[in-house]
Amino acid sequence: MKIWRKHIGNWLAHHLELPSDVILELPRITTIGQLHAYIENHKGLLLFSDNELRLNMQYGYLKISGKDFVLKMMLPEEILLEGTISEIKFIDNENKER
Amino acid sequence: MKQTQSIFLTGYVTIKIEGHHPELFFDLCARNGIFTWNIKRTSDTVCQGNVRLNDISHIRAIRRNTVYKVRFLRKKGLPFIFKQFFYRKPLIVSLLMSVLFVFLLSNIVWDVKIKNVHPELEKRIDNQLNQYGIHPGALKFTIGSPGEIQQKLLTDIPELLWVGVTEKGTTYHLEGVEKTVVEEREDAGARNIIAAKEGVIVDMFVSKGQPMVEVNDLVKKGQLLVSGELGRKNVKEEEKKDEKKQQAKKLVTAEAEVIAKTWYESKVNIPLEVNYDVLTGENKVKHYLRLGKYLLPIWGFKNPDYDQVQIEAEESTFNFLKWEIPISYVKQNVQEKNIVSTKRTKAEAVNDGIKQAEKDLQNILGNNATITFEKVLHERMERGKVKLTLYFTVYENIAKNQPISQGD
Repeated sequence: MKIWRKHIGNWLAHHLELPSDVILELPRITTIGQLHAYIENHKGLLLFSDNELRLNMQYGYLKISGKDFVLKMMLPEEILLEGTISEIKFIDNENKER
Repeated sequence: MKQTQSIFLTGYVTIKIEGHHPELFFDLCARNGIFTWNIKRTSDTVCQGNVRLNDISHIRAIRRNTVYKVRFLRKKGLPFIFKQFFYRKPLIVSLLMSVLFVFLLSNIVWDVKIKNVHPELEKRIDNQLNQYGIHPGALKFTIGSPGEIQQKLLTDIPELLWVGVTEKGTTYHLEGVEKTVVEEREDAGARNIIAAKEGVIVDMFVSKGQPMVEVNDLVKKGQLLVSGELGRKNVKEEEKKDEKKQQAKKLVTAEAEVIAKTWYESKVNIPLEVNYDVLTGENKVKHYLRLGKYLLPIWGFKNPDYDQVQIEAEESTFNFLKWEIPISYVKQNVQEKNIVSTKRTKAEAVNDGIKQAEKDLQNILGNNATITFEKVLHERMERGKVKLTLYFTVYENIAKNQPISQGD
């Protein structure tokens, strides 16, 4: 069922040129160099420390690592992260790497 | 970042969360709709961040269901500054006192300077000003406007021709011009006296010159009354005989008073019904502070139950240092008045009309003219008014100077 819905969403985003973050409920990440990362549409905070931020997504989680992390702003579905970002990594639930 | 814009005004608190995975407490806050910012992980079990002052009670409610320890670290923003400020009462009191003191000093007359008058008159002006309450140390808003002071000074010191009062900050500058009696110039040049109006001469007092008319003569406007050429008649007679003698005729400044009987017609309209206001003497004084358009009563709140009122208002402004502050003090005098309407009979109206016309005429002609009423030429009633055409005879001086052209 989930996979089916995903396919439909993909098709919609592709053929009707609708923004894919809205259709597929995926996080939208805006970064300004290494300084900022603005994440919308996340599904909750999992972990936050000086050098790592993990955010829940619909399928898996998002891992941002770097150093001197500060959460400049925190709203129910938006987070503004400040610091020196070195890596943004998507980790699926199916093939957990850790 | 819109959320953090006006945060300083509403106030915010830095909280410290202790416990296992403290960042999850902030996640919980976010889920509950509480806005948090500047979140830092200080150590493994400690996290700190800012929350709005308004959300503190929600934070407490959330904490109750968790195992985290919440501590308040710093309080920032205007509400806390206010609180802190009001703890220091002596500071506020002294600040207010100093402002009040400067305000008071700015509204005191510090100096009165009188210029351009000789010391004797200066002393008198000074005394007079003291009587009005204008002296160094007086409060400024009890003193009237410079215009009023000018008027009062001019009426109380008749020697002053003009006085200028200017208010410069806390000093009053007065500049006076004295009346100097200028002696009339004796040598006015040769002149005749002619008639200013048509009339019958009643009396003549000729002090210089040769009279050309006699008492009971009817003279026309512009007719020669007193000649400045002495022996004019003689010269004319001798003209044929000796023309050179004309040069010898003596020119003087004719001076004379010629009283003549003149006639005037005047028209007046007198209404039969008149309304006029009479003050009953009942009054009530009200005091206000004026802020721009608004009047703030400070004394005299009740409205007196007068039917008709006449309000006189005096306004005086306050200064702070050299600036005028937009607050002023207004004193209103509410006086009761009655509208009295009287009806007159036609005869009374005619009588009043004659009196009024006589008064008007006297105003035009001056005090030296004697007016006697002759008769009513025409009388007509129209729309509640009596229209009168009146006829007066007046005894007045009709002498008018006319310089003799010497033909040079």
